[in-house]
Amino acid sequence: MSAGEAMVALDRLNKYFGAERAVNDVTLSVAPGEFVTLLGPSGCGKTTTLRCIAGLERPDGGDIRIGRQTVASASQGVYLNPEDRNIGMVFQSYAVWPHMTVFENVAYGLRVRRAPGHVIKQRTMRALELVGLAQLAERYATKLSGGQRQRVALARAIVYEPKVVLFDEPLSNLDAKLREQMRVELVRLQREVGITSIYVTHDQSEALVMSDRVVVMNKGVIQQIGDPQAIYARPANAFVASFIGVANLMQGTLIGRSGELCEMEIPLGEGRSPLRVSAVGGEGAAMGQTVILSVRPEDILVHLKAPETAVGNLTEGQVIDTVYLGNFLECRVRAGTHELGVQIDHFENLQPGQKVHLSFKPEHGLCLTG
Amino acid sequence: MSVQTIPGAAAADAPQSSRWRSLVTQESVSTLVVSVIVGAAVILPLITLVVSSFKVLDSGGFDTTWGFDNYKRLFTDRIIPKAFVNTLIISFGSTVVATFFGVSLAWINARTNCPWRERLEPYNLIPFFLSPFVGAIAWHNLASSKTGLLNVWAREYLGIETHLLNVNNLWGVVWVTGIFFAPLVYLFVVGSLRRMDPSLEDSARTTGAGLFRTTMTVTLPLVMPGILSGAIIVFVTAAGEFGVPFKLSAPYGWETLTTQIFSKAVGDDANHYLGATMSMALGAICAAFIYVQQRYIAPRSFTTVTGKGFRPNVLDLGPWKWVAFGYNIAFIMVAVVMPILCLFIVSLHPVWEGRIFLNELTTINYEKTLFWWQSGAIKAATNGIYNSFFLAFVGASIAMVLSLVVSHMIHRTKGFGARLLDFLCVVPIGFPGIVLAMGVLVTYIQTPIYATLWIIMLGYITRFFPYGQRNISSVMLAISEELDQSSRMAGASWFTTLRRITIPLLKPGIFAGWVLLFIIFLRELSISIILYTSGTETLSVGVYYLANFENEPLTCALSIAQTVVLLICIIVFRRVAGREALTA
Amino acid sequence: MVNANDNRYVEVQGLVKWFGNDRAVDDISFSIPRGKFLTLLGPSGCGKTTTLMSIAGLHTIDAGSIRVGGVVYTSKAEGLFLPPEKRDIGMVFQSYAIWPHMTVAQNVAYPLEIRKVARAEIDERVAAVLRLVGLADMADKLATQLSGGQQQRTALARAIVSKPRLLLFDEPLSNLDLKLREQMRVELKRIQHEVGITSIYVTHDQAEALVMSDEIIVMSKGRIQQKGGPHQIYARPVNAYVSNFIGVANLLKGRVVEVTAPGRGAVEIEEGGRSIRLPCRLADGIGPGADAVVSIRPENVRARRENGDGRALEGEVIQAIFLGNCVDCRVRWGEYEWKVLAHPRDRLREGEKVYLRLDPEHTLAVLP
Repeated sequence: MSAGEAMVALDRLNKYFGAERAVNDVTLSVAPGEFVTLLGPSGCGKTTTLRCIAGLERPDGGDIRIGRQTVASASQGVYLNPEDRNIGMVFQSYAVWPHMTVFENVAYGLRVRRAPGHVIKQRTMRALELVGLAQLAERYATKLSGGQRQRVALARAIVYEPKVVLFDEPLSNLDAKLREQMRVELVRLQREVGITSIYVTHDQSEALVMSDRVVVMNKGVIQQIGDPQAIYARPANAFVASFIGVANLMQGTLIGRSGELCEMEIPLGEGRSPLRVSAVGGEGAAMGQTVILSVRPEDILVHLKAPETAVGNLTEGQVIDTVYLGNFLECRVRAGTHELGVQIDHFENLQPGQKVHLSFKPEHGLCLTG
Repeated sequence: MSVQTIPGAAAADAPQSSRWRSLVTQESVSTLVVSVIVGAAVILPLITLVVSSFKVLDSGGFDTTWGFDNYKRLFTDRIIPKAFVNTLIISFGSTVVATFFGVSLAWINARTNCPWRERLEPYNLIPFFLSPFVGAIAWHNLASSKTGLLNVWAREYLGIETHLLNVNNLWGVVWVTGIFFAPLVYLFVVGSLRRMDPSLEDSARTTGAGLFRTTMTVTLPLVMPGILSGAIIVFVTAAGEFGVPFKLSAPYGWETLTTQIFSKAVGDDANHYLGATMSMALGAICAAFIYVQQRYIAPRSFTTVTGKGFRPNVLDLGPWKWVAFGYNIAFIMVAVVMPILCLFIVSLHPVWEGRIFLNELTTINYEKTLFWWQSGAIKAATNGIYNSFFLAFVGASIAMVLSLVVSHMIHRTKGFGARLLDFLCVVPIGFPGIVLAMGVLVTYIQTPIYATLWIIMLGYITRFFPYGQRNISSVMLAISEELDQSSRMAGASWFTTLRRITIPLLKPGIFAGWVLLFIIFLRELSISIILYTSGTETLSVGVYYLANFENEPLTCALSIAQTVVLLICIIVFRRVAGREALTA
Repeated sequence: MVNANDNRYVEVQGLVKWFGNDRAVDDISFSIPRGKFLTLLGPSGCGKTTTLMSIAGLHTIDAGSIRVGGVVYTSKAEGLFLPPEKRDIGMVFQSYAIWPHMTVAQNVAYPLEIRKVARAEIDERVAAVLRLVGLADMADKLATQLSGGQQQRTALARAIVSKPRLLLFDEPLSNLDLKLREQMRVELKRIQHEVGITSIYVTHDQAEALVMSDEIIVMSKGRIQQKGGPHQIYARPVNAYVSNFIGVANLLKGRVVEVTAPGRGAVEIEEGGRSIRLPCRLADGIGPGADAVVSIRPENVRARRENGDGRALEGEVIQAIFLGNCVDCRVRWGEYEWKVLAHPRDRLREGEKVYLRLDPEHTLAVLP
């Protein structure tokens, strides 16, 4: 997309806390109506980036544009206060004002904008209907459950139709069941309203479920930008591979290439010959370079006997333990110096110490550099 | 599986279940005993007070009959109705002054970038620990119309004809009471300001409200319950304040209910029954206000703290931060530095006429009021040193033991007893010291403890143990009940758990509460003034005696001595309790 | 000395506990063999914690009896009540309840000191148990200097150091973050297995229960819904409640129309005017003509693009949520929305027509 179409654009954004560079040259553009998630572990700079967009932090370098307006630019000395940026924000603690009713909470943004009384009433009620709280309009916020507060916060953020809504880990205070339910609901709402959204979370499954695009961050630096499937299937590096989902990572050496596939050699420790596997990826890596093999637990098959037909990459191992999780069995297998996690769909009686054979198809292995 | 690790013979030496004895345990017996003691201590004086208020003393001064005459006198007396109005004026006025200073200082210290605000905070709080009576004496010497130091200087250097300020009236009482009670409001407000979840304000900003609008529509309403609670406490405390009006306004014709209770209840032609009736009137007002605060305002406090360690939003005042700083310093000057300095200067003079004579400075005033071994010592003053320290030390210790058990019962046992105790702990807060002292006086006047230190101690503990109890309770609420339970599960009895787990965990709360009570007892006036007799004077009674019967320099000398001790206690308190102890 | 039967080491009989007018625990009976790990599982307010507290003696009970290893802990009928400190129980709390004024070693030594064990033996046993929980080098740290996981281990060490008759766990992992929680589950189970102390564990987290337990009791509204091993509870729930609480299930109301063999038959379900016959397994207590609920796990529903033998259910994908290793789909079939767990490589799209195939082995008719 060209920069002209972007609803929110960050250009080489930088923010320091003391000597620490919390946000490091972050460049990103978000299209109108898009749902973009900033994902990363705590302290990765995602919340700071969001607060810079909101105007709650002043960036030390770079520009921020919302719509056609530059709202912050360190070089031009531009800095708009949060109230002048026409944004909506939903906070982790909901920040629903306890001294106001649900209606007053939601109407606040319209009152501040001096909307006429009948418009306030109509639009507030419409927003409350949208989040399913119309019948609780006169309730005080203190009388609401966590999920309901979350909806109030959402209605409050969208009622005046801001250019962009910012979400700061809004679901992390809810319990697991409610959280899963709210994810789906939030996405539905966002699609319905069509409002541009930037969402911050440390929960990778939240990011996968909700986003059009995911921005993975670590230590203030963007690691990868892409749609959820791409991020999961083709992580750009070992950090992304292990942060999104579960991945078995093994260090090895690149020894060959044939077509789409590359050949790797992975040492398994003393007494065992190194494992030779073929996998996809590895673009840009030189022969002999140290690379990392990444395989998802659900892509590894367990065989009690050595498979007779060729099944791709194959190795032997010993069961360490198994964990029953209802819909599948999680099994740890020792292969040489490596411990591999394997996910087994059907209930099989595997005993600790038992010998098993593991296989995975070359297209399920990914060769990563760095 | 290694079965042998199970204690094989466990059943052999296993205790047999006792008969259903859940009613007679260490826990329940202690609870019962303490409930009865607390109940008697709190309820008895109040009942006696009510009964006494209906006893009418005949003209001979010996026999009493039952009737409403005392209540009629509240309205027909020459002075009492006026005193009533004066009390209300003082209460309202000082509430306004204290709220203004308290809220503004709390906001500056908690939410602006005022320079050195962290360092200034302890000094803002000092008046909370000092005696308002001594403050009144100091301000009398600073700003009485004729000999007040400020007025003398104003005449001398500014050429003002009469006087710049005059504190010998109701407004003087309002001023001194207001600045001394400002820290009370401060403490009620600063916690919620400082630990307010910043996203409550951030969300208003992102919604489109400017800074001013956010402050007026979000920040202020959220701390309003705290402000109202603080204001009500100030109103009630000011209504029960005896020392300040006694020193500043009563001698000049502005009597209050407290000064009237004192002059009617103490002295040769004392009429305890009329005193009791006036106490009823004062107590009723205060209790009503406290009821409103406890019932309607305290529960409205918004939970603005979400548990995470937030940094509050700090407002950059720009160059105005120096104005805030100057304002803060000015408060410390008028509330702490100038009064103490003035007392000190006066105390060094043999006589005081409003002028400093550097060549006449003397320590004779300290010798006469503190050196009890010297022949020229004034007994009424020197008695107070021993008596007050005894009362403070023993009283605080007894009160804290009581508080500990009461808190434990309120928070760790459930049921009717706990709720009753909780209520009993609020009751004394609703009654001014002088009212409670009247109750204690009429209850115990014919028992052996009358005219001893013990009756004063009884008054102190009854009135003030809720303060200690609150200190312990706040710590107890913060520590999980599971800490106690896991000790029981580990095999320890109730008492062992109390000794080895509960008390050590509460140690900071216990000690902070102890020091707080020690400070309060050391400066207490309005209970002591009703209950003392010759020989059982306290420090504050000594100051009263000197102010009433001796000269200003002697009064100031003992005031300074008391203030210095209190300042030392404050330092100790901050050491043990930490910065957050009071604001929690 | 002859102990109680090892198969009924812990025996709870007819336990009832009222809170005001609320019957928190409603006539519960169960027993646990010596050395086993039992989990009380249920939503908040189901009475699981109340049951645990009754066993701990932290409150009295209103009816029934509790016996552990031949010792009567409490018996309403006989008027017996053993105070908690005499029950010889180790307990791990949700908040860990590590005493902050003591070091790790002092915390762990406390139960031994109370039992007046000799100093030398205390030191030895504390060191041994700290090694077991992996805190050997933390002995002299103050509890306040520990992370959540380390506090958890300290609490566990303190609970097992005196080799009590019984270990009780009150949602001990719920304050830890997800990754640490998953790791601690396995660890806790390992340690319990090693010391072999009979354990009762309370949780609302079904995954925790499945991973850790020898046996699970599913509770709801103060009553026991089902008791059994993890696989049994997951694969053979007895009623719709258990089926829905443990994992996710498609539940459809129907009626048993045929019993072909013991435990097997067919159920007829009505949906959108159609009536469909599904061959299935029958839970205990379900006979011909009985109203039943069919329970099918989302991972046991196969979504295909072609009909195959013509007996599959035709539906439309209305939602496909990518979860990484799987895709959570909703498939509309008449008025009913099937929950289907598909493989990402199936690439199901919203709006697409699919055919759902059900495996009779994994189709279960349970009590409503």
